[in-house]
Amino acid sequence: MNTVANSYVENVHKPLPTVLDQDRGTFAMLLVIFTELFLFISLFFSYFMLENNKHRWSFNNPPKLGYALVMVVVLVTSSFVLHWGEKQVEKESRLAGRIALAATIVIGLVFLTLQSFEYLSHWKTLAPYSDSYGSIFYAITTFHAAHVIVGLLLLSYVLALPRYAPARESPYRPYHVAAMYWHFVDIIWLFVVGILYIGANYHL
Amino acid sequence: MSTATVEQRLQKIWETPKGLWGWFATVDHKEIGVRYLVTAFTFLVIGGVEALIMRLQLARADQALLTPSMYDQLFTMHGVTMILWYASPILSGFANYLIPLMIGSRDMAFPRLNAFSYWSFLLSGVLLYIAPCLGQAPHGGWFAYVPLTNIAYSPGYGMDIYALSIIYLTISTTAGAINFIVTILRLRAPGMTISRMPLFLYSTLTVSTVIVFAMPSLTVACVFLLLDRHWGTHFFHVAGGGYPLLWQALFWFWGHPWVYVIFLPATGMISMIIPVFSRRPIVGYPYVAISTVLTGVVGFSVFVHHMFAVGMSDMAMSFFSAGSMTISIFTAVQVFAWIATVWTGRPVMTTAMHFAMGSVALLVIGGLNGIFTAVIPVDWQVHDTYFVVAHLHYVLIGSNVFPVFAAFYYWIPKITGRLMDEKLGKWSFWVMFIGFNLGFFPMHLAGFAGMPRRVYTYPAGLGLQPLNMLATIGAFILGLGMLMSVVNLIESLRHGRVAGKNPWNADSLEWETDSPPAPYGTVHIPTVASRHPLWDDHEEEYDPDNLRTLDYDRVTLASTWRDAEPYAISKMPMETLAPLLLAIALFIFFTAMVFELLWIALAGVILTFAAGCFWLWPRPRPARLEVSA
Ligand code: HEM
Repeated sequence: MNTVANSYVENVHKPLPTVLDQDRGTFAMLLVIFTELFLFISLFFSYFMLENNKHRWSFNNPPKLGYALVMVVVLVTSSFVLHWGEKQVEKESRLAGRIALAATIVIGLVFLTLQSFEYLSHWKTLAPYSDSYGSIFYAITTFHAAHVIVGLLLLSYVLALPRYAPARESPYRPYHVAAMYWHFVDIIWLFVVGILYIGANYHL
Repeated sequence: MSTATVEQRLQKIWETPKGLWGWFATVDHKEIGVRYLVTAFTFLVIGGVEALIMRLQLARADQALLTPSMYDQLFTMHGVTMILWYASPILSGFANYLIPLMIGSRDMAFPRLNAFSYWSFLLSGVLLYIAPCLGQAPHGGWFAYVPLTNIAYSPGYGMDIYALSIIYLTISTTAGAINFIVTILRLRAPGMTISRMPLFLYSTLTVSTVIVFAMPSLTVACVFLLLDRHWGTHFFHVAGGGYPLLWQALFWFWGHPWVYVIFLPATGMISMIIPVFSRRPIVGYPYVAISTVLTGVVGFSVFVHHMFAVGMSDMAMSFFSAGSMTISIFTAVQVFAWIATVWTGRPVMTTAMHFAMGSVALLVIGGLNGIFTAVIPVDWQVHDTYFVVAHLHYVLIGSNVFPVFAAFYYWIPKITGRLMDEKLGKWSFWVMFIGFNLGFFPMHLAGFAGMPRRVYTYPAGLGLQPLNMLATIGAFILGLGMLMSVVNLIESLRHGRVAGKNPWNADSLEWETDSPPAPYGTVHIPTVASRHPLWDDHEEEYDPDNLRTLDYDRVTLASTWRDAEPYAISKMPMETLAPLLLAIALFIFFTAMVFELLWIALAGVILTFAAGCFWLWPRPRPARLEVSA
């Protein structure tokens, strides 16, 4: 029981490490993503539960795929751009990283614009107060849009950072942490499209 | 040659500046932990007073002390306060104070987030209690079933405040949970491998993980409720194709695991206290640890079984009983471990030990009548009667209040540096124990006799009067017992014996520090060579070359999650007002949403973002860290 498995315990004369801890933020962001994931799982769960009442839903033509698929392309592109940017920052080419970041933000704004067009195209036939389908449809998509906005705010914060961190710290951690969140938001959109659009159109 | 001693340097680096600014800006886990404890205890007192008012009303038949609607508001506020604002935060208070000391770290992993958790916990409670001040407290029971809570049947601000303050609280709780997970997995002292962690860490880790997964569904439920009430959606309206059961599903996906959130850290504390006073290591450490983790895992699967097998009509009822049924195996493992520990040890019956043993006794009783309610005919007989009220209080008070008092008697000397009076403590225990049983046991009988729960009175001549009178007297005796402990604490602050580092001769690392601990904890980062650091031959702080003092900056040691091999230095933040500002910004947002002041709500969002940026913005280290080395 009292055998010592740890070199630091055996050898108290060994100095402590001096590198700075870089993972705390990443770890916390991972947990944030987990809890956000369960937020969306609850939302999808609600969708499926309400779907039990499908015969009473007023919609006969499910949401069109057009906008949604374009929006998939838009978001996936943004993720690739951002990832490329992160690689650049890792290689210490900060300017390229910053440009990629700015581009991602622009693409994110395009996404939100497209989404508002999409809402407009639905609004006449389907509103949140039409029936429970409208409620859950708008709830899920708006929750997602809110996450896109949060993601954009995070990215803009990173863009505004003077040198991505004070001198002795790693240059790219805030970048990395914000990017994790952005990729997560993108992946959620794939699920939204899969369930709300493709699933409804092909009666999966 | 150094001009200051190591202690002086550490003190300078870690102490919170005095004065008003320092008070609001502190990020010291000990300061925050104490605030958590005081605030949560205040909520216990508030909830307790609400309960006593209800008991006064019920003491005799046909009384008119309260109107029916006031009674509804009281039991709802009582339930919500106890479950959400007392039972879990009080455990966070202990965890906050103790965990960094137990793992030999200088602070939590995210000290500012920690401060934010506290402020938002406090402000969400303030938001909740705006409701009774407006005379419109929520009245739909603590689980707020629709359709009763829809706008048509519950006009006014009550339910809005219920939903919004809970959403706010979930933010605080989730932030706290993330902080605990990272702290426990990343900041343990060298050598404190995962198989040597104190059991309290196992339970906190499990509970925090459960919170991360379960909390969001409560948020979603409350958002849906608000949307239904004010924005014309149809999540729960049958007429619009909605589903009232959706509320129950979402609510219990959170609510079921939440029982363990309330229960597990308390068992973790018992598992720390009983071995110390039995003067031996706990029996079956691995089994206790594993059953703690499995309780959390099973918490979710039980929910699934609710959803798909049983249907949900009896959800409210089966909640506590099914909970105690499934965890009964894992709880039994723990209970047997405790009993075996006492049996084979040399028990010292201190007050803390009294409370710990008392809660084990109550758990066994609560568990037994949980089996009762799982028997279908009994279930039908007692459904929504006082039997349920009795049962849930046995479980909750046995698994939370008594362990919390045990923890108070055990750890307060660490926090205040003074021992509490043992004699008064034991009196307090016996008064509480007898009062509790006197107060809640008759409720079982009242339930069998058919007294429904949530009624504001009952007619004379049903034979319910004597039982209720007993219950009321018992409740007041219980309150008196608690009061005795509070008096004891206040007395001890002035006249208590000085505790010294380790008054109980305990085994875990927090007893290595001074009482009360210095702002930095231990001078040398300890090393750990066994499960019982202070009971083995290894010298935790042995560090002749001063290699583990970390006295050059506000930093602590990061180690790997399993073997606790140090691998990096974690920089710790300085005092800042950002967490408080962020919490206030959110408070503005949520309060504005209650009154539907959308522009102010928008301002709240913008303020939140601004406070967030202010928080994260990199700053140079303050000059005061430039200590002469
Ligand atoms: C100080 C001792 C306490 C007394 C005298 C007391 C008394 C009561 C009473 C009279 C009711 C209302 C029963 C009804 O009309 O249906 C009640 C409900 C409840 N109590 Fe307590 N209680 C106490 C402590 C606690 C604690 C410590 C907790 C939780 C940790 C708690 C949780 C609840 C819950 C969840 C309800 C159900 C509320 C509802 O029906 O929505 N109580 N209690």
